[in-house]
Amino acid sequence: MEFILESILNLLGFVVGLVLGIFAYIGFKNTGSPTLFRLNISFFAISIGFGVVGFGFLIESFVFGFTKVDPWIQTLGLGIQTIGYFFIAFSHGIKSFFPKSRFLKTIAVPLFIIPGNSIEHIIRSISFILLVYGTIETILSYMENRKRSTIFVAAGLGLLALGEFLGWYSIVFPKSILYFISVSTKIVGLGALFVPISQVPLRRPGFGSSV
Amino acid sequence: MAVAYRTHVSIIGDILSTARDEAPDESGASVTYLIRKANVSYARLSKILDTLVSQGLLEQTNSDRACKYKISNRGREFLQAYRGFREFADSFGLRI
Repeated sequence: MEFILESILNLLGFVVGLVLGIFAYIGFKNTGSPTLFRLNISFFAISIGFGVVGFGFLIESFVFGFTKVDPWIQTLGLGIQTIGYFFIAFSHGIKSFFPKSRFLKTIAVPLFIIPGNSIEHIIRSISFILLVYGTIETILSYMENRKRSTIFVAAGLGLLALGEFLGWYSIVFPKSILYFISVSTKIVGLGALFVPISQVPLRRPGFGSSV
Repeated sequence: MAVAYRTHVSIIGDILSTARDEAPDESGASVTYLIRKANVSYARLSKILDTLVSQGLLEQTNSDRACKYKISNRGREFLQAYRGFREFADSFGLRI
């Protein structure tokens, strides 16, 4: 039962990420903006990451009849999600560090210190760092523009970071409810990223990226 | 003082906004007017104007021996979409 619930939550994450990705893609097609292109890659990667875990669990269980799910599916899904978090952090990095001095970049690089002793630990810690960075940058942006939707995005990224942290901690207590809480927190975080969409009219005039 | 960096898309947005909201008369805005209002160099503006006219976002009109530019319906739609997605990117603390 718990296994099915986890699969459903992961599939929910897949759908939420997919909708956000499609929205960012429409924005990129309409405006040709590289920022929206990066957000598009980011949300598609997050969606695929959730999908790999959700579909992977279901296929292994119901198609192949495995009683125990392979841990590499979880690792693969988290790895793909991390690519998505990287692109969000990367967009902030471009905004904040370019064309500023290299000195700041040399300070930022050592922050990516990787703890842990397994691939899943490493991936989760990278995701956590990228998400915390994205959250901090978004909060700083909120202090500049004072838009309510920005604080929702910051909360969403913060919840995704908390979800990653709880997911990492669930390795310490593998049979606990922590993993379920982790995925739920991440879904709520992704849901908070929906708030900015509600403010944009969903029309598609259809301009090429050549503009 | 730090100067805000403008992306290519935001410069296009500024040019279209100027052509729509601040054109001095119905025949459109002249190149000189656009340079001053959109704060772009002549060389860069010329290239962007060629692209915008070829994409159908701006219409070129000839008035009093001067070349002027008016925003088209397609340009208005683009500007509306641009503003919407700029809000979306702003919410992430990013620039479109």
